[in-house]
Amino acid sequence: MFETLMVKVLRYDPENDAEPRYDDFEVPGYDNMSILDVVMHIQNYMDKTLCFRASCRVGMCGSCSMYVNGRPRLACRTQVSMLKTRNITLGPLPNFPVIRDLVVDMELFFEKWKRIKPYYMGKREITEPVVIPPGTGEREFIDDMLDCIACGACYAACSMVSMNDGFIGPAALNRAYTLIADKRDRGQRERLRVVGRTDGVWRCHTQFNCGEVCPKNIVPTRSIQSLKKRCVLSKFGIFK
Amino acid sequence: MNAWAWLIQRVTAVILLGALGLHIVFLHYGHGHGGLRFDDIMIRLSSPVFIILDLLLLVCGLYHVTYGLYSIFLDFGPDVRSRVVVLASLVCVGLGLMGIGFFSLLFFK
Repeated sequence: MFETLMVKVLRYDPENDAEPRYDDFEVPGYDNMSILDVVMHIQNYMDKTLCFRASCRVGMCGSCSMYVNGRPRLACRTQVSMLKTRNITLGPLPNFPVIRDLVVDMELFFEKWKRIKPYYMGKREITEPVVIPPGTGEREFIDDMLDCIACGACYAACSMVSMNDGFIGPAALNRAYTLIADKRDRGQRERLRVVGRTDGVWRCHTQFNCGEVCPKNIVPTRSIQSLKKRCVLSKFGIFK
Repeated sequence: MNAWAWLIQRVTAVILLGALGLHIVFLHYGHGHGGLRFDDIMIRLSSPVFIILDLLLLVCGLYHVTYGLYSIFLDFGPDVRSRVVVLASLVCVGLGLMGIGFFSLLFFK
């Protein structure tokens, strides 16, 4: 472990600063230190004005995602030793407006999330718990995709979002897929209409940036490709 | 509309793979002498098989190119007015080129 870490943090307060700048900090390193520990050390002992979001510290809440050495990551789940360098550069997530320092405005991200109705709408005819036999495999794919914690890392890494902020983005599309592929849900056609619009699945160019950075190892591109297939099949009257 | 356009884009891509391959093969090989001559073209274009192959290439190629360009344009998130203008322009250009292609193939002398 490095005894001292050379940390550069992007600082920006849109209300008071003309433009962003980098501040340098020398932070003492220790074993099993995470990036969240680094920013907490800076805030506690070096600069109390540093802004960042964090909550659960165990990779469940998705609030501490930030740009670490050129890649969106969860600060709490990123060990300093994983970076293999004592030079650490921290910034806010790309593709999001900056509120202050490392804190970004996620309003548009969640507005898109809401567009696909991200909640389960059970079929009315279902009155009993649905039995899904383990051997069918129909839940396997969905179950992996359900691990999403809406941290925004995929959205930050998506080059299509950076070109077109109207694009729904990988996180919302992945969530839509988990519901569309769920046989118990009745919102399939409604969601297919939303994801099938011009700014929906068709804007994805399967670059896999989203899957590359996902801290939960989800590959939203797989969901998006499946959604494209379902959108086409729905034009032939096939809903499955 | 988006789903149909996307599907046709993929279908034309598959057709182009085959048709373009055949086109290249016929253009460079199989004429039995040093280079392709005007007489060879005349013989080929009197054959319905070549006419159909070239028409297929023309239609699929033009759709694939124009929708591809429109799709790239959409990636930049343009407003509705710009979309309509660009789409109409591409349709006009595509239909114009298709007309020229049809005329060249069917009335070649």
